[in-house]
Amino acid sequence: MAEKIQNAKEETYGAEDIKMLKGLEAVRKRPAMYIGSTAVEGLHHLAYEVVDNSVDEALAGYCDKIDVTIHTEGSVTVIDNGRGIPTGPHPEDPEGRSAAEIALTELHAGGKFESKAYKVSGGLHGVGVSVVNALSEWLDIEIKQNGQVWEQHFERGTPKGALTVVGKTKSRGTKVTFKPDAEIFEVTEFNYDTLSQRLRELAFLNKGLQVKLTDERSSEEEIFLYSGGIVSFVEHLNKNKTPLHPKPIYVTKEKDGTSVEVALQYNDSYSETLYSFANNINTKEGGTHLVGFKAALTRTANNYATSSGIIKNVKESISGDDIREGLTAVISVKISDPQFEGQTKTKLGNSEVKGIVESLVNDALSTYFEQNPSVARKIIEKAILASRARDAARKARELTRRKGALEDTGLPGKLADCAEKDPALSEIFIVEGDSAGGSAKQGRDRHDQAILPLKGKILNVEKARFDKMLSSDEIRILITALGTGIGKEDFDIAKTRYHKIIIMTDADVDGAHIRTLLLTFFFRQMPEVIEKGYLYIAQPPLFKVKRGRAEQYIQNENKLEDILLDLVVDDIELKADGKPLTGKPLIPFIKKLSKFEKLIAWFSKRGADTDVLKYLLELDLNKSVLKDKAEVSSLIKKLKAKFPELVEKIEEDEEHQAYKIELKRKSLRLAIDDEFLMSPDFRELHSLYSFIKELGKTPYNLKEKDTHKEFRDSRELFEYILTAAKKGVFIQRYKGLGEMNPGQLWETTMDPNKRTLLQVSVEDLVKSDEIFTILMGDQVEPRKAFIEKHALEVRRLDI
Amino acid sequence: MKIKCPICKKVTTWEENPFRPFCSERCKIIDLGKWASGEYKIKGKPEDEKEKKDD
Repeated sequence: MAEKIQNAKEETYGAEDIKMLKGLEAVRKRPAMYIGSTAVEGLHHLAYEVVDNSVDEALAGYCDKIDVTIHTEGSVTVIDNGRGIPTGPHPEDPEGRSAAEIALTELHAGGKFESKAYKVSGGLHGVGVSVVNALSEWLDIEIKQNGQVWEQHFERGTPKGALTVVGKTKSRGTKVTFKPDAEIFEVTEFNYDTLSQRLRELAFLNKGLQVKLTDERSSEEEIFLYSGGIVSFVEHLNKNKTPLHPKPIYVTKEKDGTSVEVALQYNDSYSETLYSFANNINTKEGGTHLVGFKAALTRTANNYATSSGIIKNVKESISGDDIREGLTAVISVKISDPQFEGQTKTKLGNSEVKGIVESLVNDALSTYFEQNPSVARKIIEKAILASRARDAARKARELTRRKGALEDTGLPGKLADCAEKDPALSEIFIVEGDSAGGSAKQGRDRHDQAILPLKGKILNVEKARFDKMLSSDEIRILITALGTGIGKEDFDIAKTRYHKIIIMTDADVDGAHIRTLLLTFFFRQMPEVIEKGYLYIAQPPLFKVKRGRAEQYIQNENKLEDILLDLVVDDIELKADGKPLTGKPLIPFIKKLSKFEKLIAWFSKRGADTDVLKYLLELDLNKSVLKDKAEVSSLIKKLKAKFPELVEKIEEDEEHQAYKIELKRKSLRLAIDDEFLMSPDFRELHSLYSFIKELGKTPYNLKEKDTHKEFRDSRELFEYILTAAKKGVFIQRYKGLGEMNPGQLWETTMDPNKRTLLQVSVEDLVKSDEIFTILMGDQVEPRKAFIEKHALEVRRLDI
Repeated sequence: MKIKCPICKKVTTWEENPFRPFCSERCKIIDLGKWASGEYKIKGKPEDEKEKKDD
């Protein structure tokens, strides 16, 4: 700033620039008309007015330092290093008074009314320093100009003596000290923080201008000097927030005598912080500059979002509110003839400013976005998120406002409610499908069991792919039936109408999908229901086993196997090279044999050399072997004797102070190391093997009544035994709840005395929510990987 | 318990979080909006594969 100070032009700001207007009595009579109020705001206006005169000198390029001091007895001094108010006699004044005196005593007399003196000027809408003089108990002015020091003293606006030279100086500037008149003001104490905030603002707005505030009452002192200008301002506003991009975006341009500066930076919050200024005045009511800025921001964001492909859906667009979420921005314009409107005269009215700001911001911001695509993307994505949130909030509101088909009771028509009104004693079954709903309604105990049939919607997305979803109607019906309401404002766990909410779906894939959707909905939108332990999953049977007149319902395949084996073991005898087994002792053996085979098959699917694996089990390999080089060699020798094609690679396993063996036979592989031998899969295999080896070596001889059969493979043996067990047994597999009649459904699944319910816990759902995210995902690969992984898990569980 | 917000994937906690399992009211409402507009679908399998599994 210092180098900008223009000494050469000093003489052009002379006494003739001050235009005369009269009357300070009016100001003292109706002070609020000039300074807004006689309360604390009005008081501070006095200081701002004097400071603004100094800032005008800075704007014009003649001043780079302003000192403001609050004195102990309540007066304030403002000193600048500008040109000094003109001291010469005013040419139009018949009394020949000095221009300075006129500026201090005549209303609306100021350099700023002649735009040639100040191209751009702030000030409190031109009320001028004369108002400050009029409302002060006393005011002293000291002007250093052209090597001389001038002084004049005023009391309540009236000069006490003329402006006179009191000494010589090498410096220049104006010093004004004034004491607000206690006859006028309700409050005469200046507030340090209020002044500090405004002075800081002025320092931000006038890059390079140093503003110093000293409070002699408390010895507080601050110096504001920002070389970054409004960029520093934005950084200051964002200092306790997390910015989305490291540096504020800064735009500046001058056009037709109007200068525009914009600095903006996004943070990760949802609020917008916008400051707009015109000629240093905080335009709290906004105005044309702000309108232009907002329009440009919205337009540029939408253009970039579309052209860069971030928005693919043509229907999607970013609203002004969306793009301003998390925005901190400062807009500062400096114009020669500002028009202020609005209630507090803090709204910029100059219509030409809108277009200037808009086109400047448009150009500069588009260029910035093109050059900084990663920042642009972050900003646009944040706005899209804001837009979706707004949209979501609207849809969420509509969800519960639209009532749909409700009975007089306010409950959905589909709900078959129970007679019991005490929630602690009431249950609700959420049943998928109308036919199952019908059975459940007939089979239930209507005293305390309510039934809500929900329909999962099936979407035929591609030729042969069917997606499952819950429509918004079904969601609304569910919320209404439960009585809890939804969302931050409405949800109330205390209003839950049932303390047992039981999800009852078919035991097939579709049923599982609907159940997943329901569980996810509860987990995400009503976690309190789960925390309270209100949510359950019904366990309908998967099979009905009928033998003669006896009927049995069976929950899963594992139990079915148990029952079938139970039926057949008395009729068979199994023998290998050990002692023969029959009856009950045979059951655990066959089951373990079956598990063993399934586990081997699982290893085989992963490309493991299972023949070698089985041989290792036979050799009773344990990890101590891997610690000893000689034992490793002997193991390899044994393996090669049995499998001549085997290729081995031995490496040191430093982590376990042992060796690693990699075996290869054609495409089959097996890596034997500490980790593998300690893995749960191998240990399980090992323990199963130690059990089944009791029976001795294959082949197995099976004696069933009069027939004898020989099996080399335990899997074939197992299948044969199961087939034998199924003779004379009728097994029905339930594909849906609807296949059960009401009585059966009651007996197997709903009767509190007989049923099993699975209580849902938060921990269960934290995991399954991830599953849900994957099940819904668009990405094929993780989904495929997930299904494969879990298919295995399911199989492992079934073993 | 540390959890991942189902919407924005930010890590948050279950305890003392009024918006659990989400990180914020914002994310919770985005989720509710998705339920309200039927955006959540579980992708089905191609029909032939499904039949294989069912049988």
